[in-house]
Amino acid sequence: MRRNKLSRLAALALGAAMLLSACGQANGPAPSGANPTATPAPADGSTPPVSAEPASYKSELNIAMTANPPSLDVHSVNSNITGGIGAHIYEPLFAMNADYEPTPVLAESYTVSEDGMVYTIKLRQGVKFHNGQEMTADDVAASMNRWLELSAKAKTLIGGSVFEKEDDYTVKLTVNEASSDIIMILASPIQFAAIYPKSVVDASTAEGLSEYIGTGPYKLNEWKQDQYVHLTRYEDYQPSPDASTGLAGKKQALTQDLYYRVVTDDATRIAGIQTGQYDIAEEIPLERYEELAGMDTVELNVQSGGTINLFLNTTQGPLANETLRQAALAALNCDDIMLASYGDPNLYTLNPGWCIPSDAQWGSDAGKEYYNQNNQEKAKQLLAEAGYNNEPITLVTTPDYSEMYNATLVVQEQLRQAGFNAEVASFDFSTFMEHRADPAQFSMFITSNSYNLLPIQLSVLDAGWAGLDRQEVKDGIAAIRSAASTEEASKAWDDLQGFLYEYGAATVLGHYNGVIALSAGVENFEYLRFPLYWNVTVPA
Amino acid sequence: MLSYLIKRILSLIPVMFVVSVVVFLVVYLIPGGPATALLGLEATQEQIAALNAELGFDRPFLVQYTDWLVKVFHGDWGDSFFLQQSVLEAIRDAFGPTLSLAVLAQIFSLIIAIPLGILAAYKRGTVTDIALVSISLLGIAIPGFLLSMFFMLFFGLYLKWLPVAGYAALSKGLWEHLRYLILPALSLGVVQAAYITRMTRSAVLDVLYQNYIRTARSKGLRERAVVLVYALKNAAPTILTVVGQSFGGLVTGTIVTETLFTIPGLGMLTISAITRRDVFVIQGVVLFVTLVYVLVNLVVDILYGLVDPRIQLGRK
Repeated sequence: MRRNKLSRLAALALGAAMLLSACGQANGPAPSGANPTATPAPADGSTPPVSAEPASYKSELNIAMTANPPSLDVHSVNSNITGGIGAHIYEPLFAMNADYEPTPVLAESYTVSEDGMVYTIKLRQGVKFHNGQEMTADDVAASMNRWLELSAKAKTLIGGSVFEKEDDYTVKLTVNEASSDIIMILASPIQFAAIYPKSVVDASTAEGLSEYIGTGPYKLNEWKQDQYVHLTRYEDYQPSPDASTGLAGKKQALTQDLYYRVVTDDATRIAGIQTGQYDIAEEIPLERYEELAGMDTVELNVQSGGTINLFLNTTQGPLANETLRQAALAALNCDDIMLASYGDPNLYTLNPGWCIPSDAQWGSDAGKEYYNQNNQEKAKQLLAEAGYNNEPITLVTTPDYSEMYNATLVVQEQLRQAGFNAEVASFDFSTFMEHRADPAQFSMFITSNSYNLLPIQLSVLDAGWAGLDRQEVKDGIAAIRSAASTEEASKAWDDLQGFLYEYGAATVLGHYNGVIALSAGVENFEYLRFPLYWNVTVPA
Repeated sequence: MLSYLIKRILSLIPVMFVVSVVVFLVVYLIPGGPATALLGLEATQEQIAALNAELGFDRPFLVQYTDWLVKVFHGDWGDSFFLQQSVLEAIRDAFGPTLSLAVLAQIFSLIIAIPLGILAAYKRGTVTDIALVSISLLGIAIPGFLLSMFFMLFFGLYLKWLPVAGYAALSKGLWEHLRYLILPALSLGVVQAAYITRMTRSAVLDVLYQNYIRTARSKGLRERAVVLVYALKNAAPTILTVVGQSFGGLVTGTIVTETLFTIPGLGMLTISAITRRDVFVIQGVVLFVTLVYVLVNLVVDILYGLVDPRIQLGRK
């Protein structure tokens, strides 16, 4: 009798806890903004028309992202998370449209002097920052000069250029070297040239900005570190009058609130999209692709994201020997490497190009005879030719990026089969970055790099990346930049890409796709370098 | 009693000092500064070096450490490079969720463990006892993250009773607060309960055959009173020790559970500070955790005196 009571007590307690939770589900507000709002402002012709049914939409969009943004200062950080959120808060003078063409956003128009050295950029009038101030040339000059200072790629390409105010709505850019790609560089989406108020720029320190104010369709409401970034529609937003396209054109902020929630665990992100707690889950782990692809409640959005690349140490250690590098390239079977990294053939493509393969100007298969050779015999032969003495070949990597780690293990195995004494040194991300940057500490490493719009922005061409410091590279970059026509520029890039393979400096292993899961019903989702949410609606 | 307390608290100082030197040294020795994490994958080495220099991370160890120590004595634990708040604010913000989670998990564990432990002891040698002991063994053996995943899938995804992850502050209402904490607390609580059940069982067993229990029975007390008052009270110091240890562990942050359920507590703060090399936060969290752990033990020691008057603190 007594023991019955005791066990009943325990059962009761457990039962009560679960019952409470069950009841609460019915009454408590659901986390994913169930408060319906009125139909959002009618979409203009540019956006796919919002269907008449259902009549109400969620006022809140819950997006599960993988990590806390390292900063919300887009000038200083090369991070997809920072850039993706930043694209909703800030706007640049020019941005990419859906066809990857630079398109005016805060600029209205521009003219170039005959010698190509001076750009006069007219600004749109009546654009207001989130703090209510109007954007003028002072803000633009201050922001652009800060960006030129902080963005490594901008500094490398157009360092020394200066922005000056001409009148309140005109700025003048004086470049240090004429080139056809200046506006392209200003429109690069990653680490982009956001326009901040001058007061914010003046108050910034080495540790970054103290306020996050832009002109974009959403303003920052709250950034709860390691939890969420909450953006709210900016009511005084002045959209560009043109049709919405990529990162340019009309942005509408159709959903009132965006919550970018930090959900580091893959399984949690997926469970959340399955239950409807999140409307969007970014970076779906590839091993769950097939399972989710079969579900009715979830739609998968597959986007080509970039390349995964192998870099060889051309300056120090055994691989300073070019024949040995060629032996390594001969041993690689890229299909196996990509399958191990991405898990499903739908999620990668094999192509030797460093740029987007479909890009008419920069897509290139130069050097394809060195790509994906899968020729162990040739590798062994080259090894013997090079007089390889079983010196250790160190592949440094980090398990923090699983695709990089998995690819490294397969490459190690393939090199071993060819007769290399290949070993893997695995570190956490920060330590990996130190080893990677020091030619004394690696023979090879693999990184996945998002696409760049211009080949001259590729890390592989930067001597600080993997130590490749050859005159051919410098000449190649100069040839691309000074090319008189797109054909000529395209040819110059073909030559440079060919050189990278021929010299055995680096190889693309393959092109990867990123997977974003959307709950069924998410409308008008677009992707251009980042997931774009300003025209997105979700039926309540 | 008072002098005992003062002595205990003073003895904290060398502990904290050694911990702070060791942690600072370890963080100093591992490669990569906050700049690497701040600037991302494609940052150049010059950029990283420049930012590290600007933040003062290129200085020698002793200079950095004394600089930090002097500030601490002025009540300034430093600022986080990532969180845009001071270390103390970051700890304060993270401690709330962890404390809520720990308290709820401890309540769950006690509700489960104490009755089951007493039951197992009382039914010693029977099928009930063997079953309970085996189940608790399973509970100890099962990895916490597996249990968490199971609860998340079953109650969150399959039954949809509770949110799979997330956190709502207490200011959003008690129920909203609890709703997010039940699953993680349950998965922590079950693991803790397994251990506490076993300890409760053996503690109760130890006293169940003592003379005073026999006396209590022979003077005609009801069995319930014998077990719950006489046996349990005498087993309490042992149970209290176990509960103290378990609470000390819970309240100082549970990295895996917090990460899995995205609860912005001390565990999450710790792990993200380490990956970002957010030196002052790592330092602050470790010191804070040390302090809390020692204090919890101190409280447990004081409670001994309350449940068992024979134990008198500070007397030799």
